[in-house]
Amino acid sequence: MDIETILLIQQIMNGLVNGMTYVLIATGLTLVFGVLHIINFAHGEFYMLGAFFTFFASKLLGLDYVTAGILATVAVASLGIVANRFFFWPLRREHEFTLLLSSLGLALLLTNGGELIFGADPKYISSPFADGIVAMGPMILTQQRILIFGVGALMLLLLYFFIQKTTMGKMMRATAQDAEGAALTGVDIRRVYTVTFVLACGLAALAGALVGPTAMIYPTVGSWAVLKGFIVVVLGGLGSIVGALIGGLTLGVVEALVGGYISLGFAQAVGFAIIIVVLLWRPNGLFGVARRAG
Amino acid sequence: MTMSRFTVPALIVVAVVLPLATGNTYLHHLLVLWMLFSLLALSLNIIIGYIGELSFGHAAFFGIGAYTTAILGMHFGLPGIFGLFVAAAMAGLFGLVIGYASLRIEGPQFAILTLGFGSIIYTTTNYWVDVTRGPMGISNIAPLGVGGFFEFTTAIEYYYLALFLVAGFGYCCHALMQSRTGRSFIAVRENASLAASLGINVFRTKLLAFVVATAVAGVAGAIFAPYLTVVTPEVMSLHYMVAIIIMVIVGGRGTIAGPILGALIYVGILELLRATGPLRMVIFAGLMTLSVIYLPGGLISILKRKIHIGGGVTDQPPKPEAKQ
Repeated sequence: MDIETILLIQQIMNGLVNGMTYVLIATGLTLVFGVLHIINFAHGEFYMLGAFFTFFASKLLGLDYVTAGILATVAVASLGIVANRFFFWPLRREHEFTLLLSSLGLALLLTNGGELIFGADPKYISSPFADGIVAMGPMILTQQRILIFGVGALMLLLLYFFIQKTTMGKMMRATAQDAEGAALTGVDIRRVYTVTFVLACGLAALAGALVGPTAMIYPTVGSWAVLKGFIVVVLGGLGSIVGALIGGLTLGVVEALVGGYISLGFAQAVGFAIIIVVLLWRPNGLFGVARRAG
Repeated sequence: MTMSRFTVPALIVVAVVLPLATGNTYLHHLLVLWMLFSLLALSLNIIIGYIGELSFGHAAFFGIGAYTTAILGMHFGLPGIFGLFVAAAMAGLFGLVIGYASLRIEGPQFAILTLGFGSIIYTTTNYWVDVTRGPMGISNIAPLGVGGFFEFTTAIEYYYLALFLVAGFGYCCHALMQSRTGRSFIAVRENASLAASLGINVFRTKLLAFVVATAVAGVAGAIFAPYLTVVTPEVMSLHYMVAIIIMVIVGGRGTIAGPILGALIYVGILELLRATGPLRMVIFAGLMTLSVIYLPGGLISILKRKIHIGGGVTDQPPKPEAKQ
């Protein structure tokens, strides 16, 4: 293989790994929208918290990276219960703008609270996998990036079975179709809200714990995460998990190629350029279903 | 909203006298910010409050207006007040193109699409160094002038200019809501398919509202830049996008006093909280969230309630309710 091809394949591989991060972030976002019809602006902050909790769990408690990451994910998932209890559940009958602003308020609280408590300076999460290299022919990936891709794929698979096979998953799908109808048939909507937020926040935190060691973490990283999440979710179709998977991987690869061959600055905006084109062609995204009447 | 027909003139008189009550130039500066943000929030209110769509891209049009006057002044030395019209036309033109593309979509997708357009304009401004001077921004912007006769230099002068525009635009919004066009805005917000069945062209109605709103945002930007004498891409950042939405919804969407009150609260609370140092934004976010949770109709809904208890029926025609 000549060097050009190797470079191209390497860019695509890097793009797929970045894309898997986007998928993990976007899956939670699309789950909350699909089941509860809430646009959660604070979603990125749970990604930020996941990364910082991992950092502090290994720094202050002296835990190894894997234990710290799992602990952080569980802790942030539990915070999801609190967030739902105070910021989303009480407003479920209000206008969608009210809910959106409540989530914006939560996002501001977490970002600025994070800056106050964690400090604004960037931090590194150390991971034993960060420096290990796996060579596949002429292509190279770090072990950490392989971990991101592997854990991401596993989580999506587990989530898929949870939603398709378990009773709770069926209740979530029923709520997604018609919350009132589901409640009438005995679905505990309150529990559906709780479980959905636990899953969404846990997934975002896991993404933060996984990606943390590959880049610096800082308290304002949440707005980056939520913007990427929005692009992916709209690209794939709001509420569609398959859409989040395809959309996330696509965005990762396109960004890597644009960043590699055109310019890094433009790579930041290319995601928005893609959604503009896609939405004009398919208003509900690639895999979206038609917006409910009314 | 209005207790009697004297309330609005009384409030305007108070607003006119307000800067004369203090010689503190810093307070004058805050008053200018309040009026400019009021104009901006009133313009976004047309989209959020009247046609019921959420636009995240509004700060971009504010920025387009600001950059239009700055660039016109830099290259052509164009007198400022004339620049206001060019800025309005420019922002409105961008609004026409972006609205034409994105208003076919509604709800959350529309909100995120406008976020996308806004971010692209922000990124372009940051990277197109030849025209916009990139992240450093444009400084030494000449003050607004009226063809050599008069120049707006002090904060008080800018305050009166902005107040005049806010009062004028507020009156236009009021008149609009009495008109057939305004009622068709509300009809589109409440039930688009029903509105369409009554012969209202939903898309054109929304586009009209969007273009007017973006043109007015451009005017606000065109005053903001010469007032501060400097403009950077930050005026289009996520921070400002979110700030304008907060002003409209915390104040009370779909009303005229609401966005003006929202702008006052935004400028005022952030200023009052300055003493709390690093806790400032945390407290601000907390207050904002509480106000949204307990007053979904905005702060203006407290006043409305009070007036309904005290004054009985008002002489106003029914205002669009903030909460559906």
